Amino acid sequence: MTKVFTDGLSFAMPLLIMAIGAIYSEKSGVTNLAIEGFQGFGAFIGSLIAIILMGTMGQSSQAVLYIAMAFAAVGGGIYACLHALLCIRFKANQVISGVVVNILAVALTSFCTSLANTKINGTMSNKFILGVSTRFTIPVISRIPWVGGLFKNMYPFEIIIIVLVIFFWYLMYKTKFGMRLRACGENPQAVDAAGGDVEKTRWAAVIISGALSGIGGICFAYSLLANFSPSIYMGYGYLAIAAMIFGNWGIGTTAIVCMIFGLAKSGGYQLCIFMGLPSSYSDLFLMLPYVLTMILLIFFSKKNHPPKAAGEAWDKGKR
Amino acid sequence: MKKKRHTLAHLLDGRHASVWVSVLAVLLTLLTAGVMLLLMGKNPLIAFRSFLQGCGMLPKANYGGGSGMLSDLSDFLNYMAPMLLASLAFIVGFKAGLFNIGIAGQMLISGFTATVFIGYSKLSALPARILVVVIGILVGGLTGALVGFLKYQFNIHEVVSTIMLNYIISYLTGFFINNHYVDMMTRTSRICSANARLTLTNVMIAGVKCKLPIGILIAVIMAFVVKFIFDKTVFGFELKAVGQNRKCAKYTGVHVGNRIILSMAFSGVLAGLAGVTYYLGYTNTIIPKTLVGMGYDSISVALLGNSSPIGSIFASIIVSIFQQGANYMSSMVNVAKEIASLITGILLLYASCGTYMKMRAHMVIQRDIDREEEEKK
Repeated sequence: MTKVFTDGLSFAMPLLIMAIGAIYSEKSGVTNLAIEGFQGFGAFIGSLIAIILMGTMGQSSQAVLYIAMAFAAVGGGIYACLHALLCIRFKANQVISGVVVNILAVALTSFCTSLANTKINGTMSNKFILGVSTRFTIPVISRIPWVGGLFKNMYPFEIIIIVLVIFFWYLMYKTKFGMRLRACGENPQAVDAAGGDVEKTRWAAVIISGALSGIGGICFAYSLLANFSPSIYMGYGYLAIAAMIFGNWGIGTTAIVCMIFGLAKSGGYQLCIFMGLPSSYSDLFLMLPYVLTMILLIFFSKKNHPPKAAGEAWDKGKR
Repeated sequence: MKKKRHTLAHLLDGRHASVWVSVLAVLLTLLTAGVMLLLMGKNPLIAFRSFLQGCGMLPKANYGGGSGMLSDLSDFLNYMAPMLLASLAFIVGFKAGLFNIGIAGQMLISGFTATVFIGYSKLSALPARILVVVIGILVGGLTGALVGFLKYQFNIHEVVSTIMLNYIISYLTGFFINNHYVDMMTRTSRICSANARLTLTNVMIAGVKCKLPIGILIAVIMAFVVKFIFDKTVFGFELKAVGQNRKCAKYTGVHVGNRIILSMAFSGVLAGLAGVTYYLGYTNTIIPKTLVGMGYDSISVALLGNSSPIGSIFASIIVSIFQQGANYMSSMVNVAKEIASLITGILLLYASCGTYMKMRAHMVIQRDIDREEEEKK
């Protein structure tokens, strides 16, 4: 039972940081289906740096993880500029732009991975082997029965993500920038009239969204997959978007939803082992988070309040 | 230079603007891909030629026994059929303002159902093939209708529901294939009977072995059917009205919810057809837990074809050349064949800037007109 909580949290945290990325972009009025692409590209840059550093700093150095995380954020942010350019500058259809960015990310990273592998170690493989980051246990609280699992065998990135979540919650709801950003998604004309720069705010929001997704991506690469390969495009970016919609575009509610997803995933997996089913049945249990999303969306979608101006290109002349 | 830019602007602002935007997108893509290949130290001209050679459009240097240019061309058509159908599926949804991102999932579920019920049966050729097509239409249509229903009844955005369905279908079919229909050697599903396959294999034409895809006939016919529906029928007009302005359509008395469900169902039908032509034609086996990249490639085809059914015939030829010719190109110039997806991605990128290009062209021309008027004064 504790393992359900441990695994659930380590899945929910990267998902949450990606969902917050999506919230930033959508709250500023840019529909963002590109989370999947951002996280993959961020993870690619992060693991590329990690592979290069591992050559000099040794295989087991944990400092590599933190440097890789920083670079993943930078990479995701830079790649997000493409989405921002298409949506804000070129006024392309935002849903299509999201799909374009995703397709390009899959193609670009898998091509560049095999290119980089031939350059670095002469193999044609499309994988960067990263290994799993070390875990730690918080001494006292982890002994609490059941819920103590949340504090057992934690990845260090979970702490970083929690700090980031609190910071970005503060930025969104308690600062001037955050208020401008939310206003851009509801009524950009009002922001313009009040002297704000709608385009700049949206650019900032999309870049933040890319950086956060990149962090989420590298965390998945370092925990769930233990490598970087095209299999990082497992649809977790879309799951993050579903969490955002289900969480009604609020950071607090989305955090709860992500936790539910995480527990559903790990719980299903443990249930499969507990019931003594052969491993071929695990596919059915892997399906659970998606089925759960569908069912929950049926009950909660009606009351949703998406940002009013999301999906529309900003047109100064419009009233 | 200045004059030239303005000819381009006039082309992009004229009557056939959409066609020229697509042509420009293709040219820019070739340019970008060429520069990339040059940077890797390869000759882009040889690479582009081998793309065409791999698709049977240009003769190769030598052929294996019993095969020739025609067999490559028939392979190419075999691949193009599901691509065209899938892009039509996207277009039908897109015209009604819906993004059917779940084409890959709808393809998989219909292909899987047809394989299990007909592909493994002992039916004779004609009824088997008819049943395969019918099952493709039914299963695809029902899946599409479900998405439309969820959108209309529960306000679930179709992008989210189709993506969730994609993963559910992928895991579900993967589970059944792995447990019941797996071929131990290849780890994919057992191949279906030749009677049910929509591609006739080993047909001798002009002394070479060819594959005769029935799917390409279905695909081209469907392209004209879709064109007819959107250009000449009330139903098609209402779909377009719903796509352009939902509130206005409702005000003029169109039953919006009904039209949303029907357009998703129609889109699903086409995706289902694409599924059976892919899984019981192009390949005749299913790799478990894998969604085909064609689901997304079809979106680039639709965009490049300016979401017109006839345009998408040409667009699917172009995109299929890159995808199908990649293997031969990869062996000729020694570049990883993932470059084909990369080129498709770049193509999609330029195609999505189409509106901006047109807007720019219009601005340039408008500025000229203003200047001329000022000079007259």
